[in-house]
Amino acid sequence: MASDLATVHPEGTVFGDVGDTAVPLRFSSLSDEYRALRERAVVVDLTGHRLIEITGPAAVEFAQRVLARDVEYLTSDRCTMSLVLDDTGRVVDQVLAFGREDGVLLESSAGAGTRLCEHLRGLGEEGVRITERTDLAVIGLEGPYAWGVVGRLIDPELASLPFESVVDATWNGTDIVFARTGYTGEYGYQMIVPADAAAELWSLALEHASPAGQEALELAMLEVRQPVPRHETGEGATVVEMGANWLIDITKDAFVGREATLAAFADGGGRRVVGFTGPEGVPAPGTRVLAGGQDVGEVVYAVHSVGLDATLGLARVDRDLAAAGLDLTVGGAEVTTLTSPYVVPKSWSIPII
Amino acid sequence: MTIDELRARAAARQETCGQIKKMIVSRLDLEIEPDWITDDQPLFGRGLELDSLDVLELYVAIEAEFGVALYDSEMAVFGSVSRLADEVNPALRARV
Repeated sequence: MASDLATVHPEGTVFGDVGDTAVPLRFSSLSDEYRALRERAVVVDLTGHRLIEITGPAAVEFAQRVLARDVEYLTSDRCTMSLVLDDTGRVVDQVLAFGREDGVLLESSAGAGTRLCEHLRGLGEEGVRITERTDLAVIGLEGPYAWGVVGRLIDPELASLPFESVVDATWNGTDIVFARTGYTGEYGYQMIVPADAAAELWSLALEHASPAGQEALELAMLEVRQPVPRHETGEGATVVEMGANWLIDITKDAFVGREATLAAFADGGGRRVVGFTGPEGVPAPGTRVLAGGQDVGEVVYAVHSVGLDATLGLARVDRDLAAAGLDLTVGGAEVTTLTSPYVVPKSWSIPII
Repeated sequence: MTIDELRARAAARQETCGQIKKMIVSRLDLEIEPDWITDDQPLFGRGLELDSLDVLELYVAIEAEFGVALYDSEMAVFGSVSRLADEVNPALRARV
């Protein structure tokens, strides 16, 4: 499936398959797009995020069962990020859940819509309708000055919404859902718009911000330990091993995957993920990690961080070695484990004015 | 460094992180086990979803429990439990 915006992206845009969707990986260069994201503002094509509507008389009850976060009182002016787990506690997807008057709207991660939809339908029950909203598309804004773009593009008052607030707004005569969200630690916003209006909104947004592709977005996510599901959920890792506990409300009475997650937590052993950096090379997933010459784990994934100008990756290592400040060896190269965030977002020191 | 030395170094950080997690859960009356909080998860906004009032409470708690005043620090010190551990126990940052 191609991006709804594929036809408006300029010639030279590099697309790549992410799950079930072809998304723009980069428009110019990763370095330029990353710097724009961390220093100014970028517009992000999130049309690879599928929207799935849960409606019907049992919609909220169903959403409460399938989402790991508590959504029982998720009103239409709020959204929340949550994991969706299977019975074994493995991650199906990381979603944004929007409270709606008639149920809950889920936004999948990039390219994970088909898998998420199949999972939800497999758990479907009477009184629940699960509908793919292919008539809607998502466009995002990220960056320390993204709030300024919101002001110029839609409405200045929307820029200072509290985190995870949602407003039903009108843009250019079109009803949209506007949310303060963010994946990168910078100020972030999302606009859910009719698919046939997405191209126009995208074009107008480009008058105020440059575009950034999936590569820049995922790099910035990694730098603040925002899970990137397509890289981190493989190999049957549990949520506890991933370190994504914060995307679960473990005090919630019941949800799919809760028992398995509690068992993994109670076990206490196994491996945990820790960030690492090294001067050169990008080790492939699965590359062995050595401590004092002994095999203690493997690389989850790694990239070249523009912000650090060095290799940045995640490694899954024995729990008693999952800590910052250790010198380890990855694929023959010396690396050092890190404390997150690996790059401090500029937005943390810039107020919205 | 041998693996035993690395384990000792990791244990020192994990101990400080454990103290911080217990402090957060206790001071903010969170209904979770301290170890459910991970060393690297975000604390504010995303993550543990602490707010500015919680920060004030943590400033006081950290000074009381660790004798470290962070009142003039940048928000980055609250970027994660592990980052906070660097502030309350500077020895963790020292390279051997």
